[in-house]
Amino acid sequence: MTTLSPAQATADLAEFDRTTSRWGRLTMIAGLIISVGGPLYLVLFGNLGITSTQLWTAVAAVLGTFFVIWLVEPITYFPILGPAAMYQAFMIGNISNKLLPSVLVAQTSIGARPGTERGNFAAIMAICGAAAVHLLSLLVFVGILGTWLISVVPAGVTDVARIYVLPAVMGAVIVQAIISMKQLRPTLIAFAVVLLVQFVLLPLVPGLAMVSTAISVIGTIIIAWFARKEAQPAA
Amino acid sequence: MMPTQLVENGSSTNILSIANMPVLWACALGVFAVIILQSVIYIRAARKAAPAAGITGAELKTSFRSGAVAAIGPSLAVVLVAIALLALFGTPAVLVRIGLIGSAAYETGAANIAATTMGATLGDATYTQQVFAVAFFAMSIGGAMWMLTTLIATPLLKRGEHKLAKVNPLIMTVVPAAALLAAFISIGIGEIPKSAAHLITLLTAGVVMALCLFLAKRLNRVWLREWGLGFAIVAALFVAYAAHTAGLGPVA
Repeated sequence: MTTLSPAQATADLAEFDRTTSRWGRLTMIAGLIISVGGPLYLVLFGNLGITSTQLWTAVAAVLGTFFVIWLVEPITYFPILGPAAMYQAFMIGNISNKLLPSVLVAQTSIGARPGTERGNFAAIMAICGAAAVHLLSLLVFVGILGTWLISVVPAGVTDVARIYVLPAVMGAVIVQAIISMKQLRPTLIAFAVVLLVQFVLLPLVPGLAMVSTAISVIGTIIIAWFARKEAQPAA
Repeated sequence: MMPTQLVENGSSTNILSIANMPVLWACALGVFAVIILQSVIYIRAARKAAPAAGITGAELKTSFRSGAVAAIGPSLAVVLVAIALLALFGTPAVLVRIGLIGSAAYETGAANIAATTMGATLGDATYTQQVFAVAFFAMSIGGAMWMLTTLIATPLLKRGEHKLAKVNPLIMTVVPAAALLAAFISIGIGEIPKSAAHLITLLTAGVVMALCLFLAKRLNRVWLREWGLGFAIVAALFVAYAAHTAGLGPVA
């Protein structure tokens, strides 16, 4: 390895920062447009008789439910990932269960600390490695094998999968969220608010059914905020 | 290209016929291509600047390899979850939404919320092509919001990292925890009135997940935590099949 003058090193790092910022952003914008393009095509040219009211009501209900998560997650992962890897991570997805473990393993195996230049470079390479494995396994096992599987499995089985996969996912996700968050108060408040909305508010005002989850989310945030433990370290 | 075969005006429940349209496959593979392109650009940039960052070429290779190996287990766990969702969303939507950008929890949640606004339920006779298209669109806008926040927040964080870190840390812990818990608990509890089989499915998945997490901690097996979601979904679907066949499903 040739030794670099400090000025040369700074210039090289600035160049790296420029490249990854520009191309990271451009590729992410491309990913954003292509990923929305598919369903947009279906809605506009699929001849499915979808009205814009139906479309925007659905989008508004989803926005109302998840807006906090969208705002908070990128800010939470920034210190671990570093700026360049942010553009990778939020396009590849499955950050906490796949990318972060890969990053940590890579940083450990070359003895690089997170937040340093070495750590950031190790993170970027680890995410590239993880992406390669992930894309390959998705393409082979879901794209090819899965599509074949769904065509040979009896209709009775796919019908059951279609009807019950939502409660199956949610049952597991609720337990996972409760255990990994380890926040008893917000958990209890969430249960109370949800039960109140589902079994008291909705029977009274059935028209709210389409925004019931958004109401529960906003209600829980407000109550959990005012009922938070003040004993925690002061800000 | 004119999709002349879609003359039913969206009321058909044959989801897979539109979910597997060539355009959607092209878009799904397009996202794959974008990620590959991004990786190539990043690796080349990293190689070039490696000496300046005090990292050797061999260490870059080691990082790539250990990242790849560490991702094998979690990737296959995601594959299992994705396959369980194929009947609901079709392959292209599952590849992009569950496999890549989003995750099973957010995407099925968003699809369910979107379907509800149309007075429909995912998977049953009200789940028409029209509902699928709206749900897919709403999921995709949801995923786009994550990317949009990343695009806006990353340059800001880079400049003023310390300022944002000084926001009351409680806001960053209590508020997202409350939002996440309320969203998933609300969607989960909303399944209970649908039928006894729905309730049994929900509970089975919860119990299996709890068991996996408990054993993962007790036996110190990290892979059990990664596979928990997949195992829980598959086990719950088996139980759902039995319950449905036993006549506990929704009255058609």
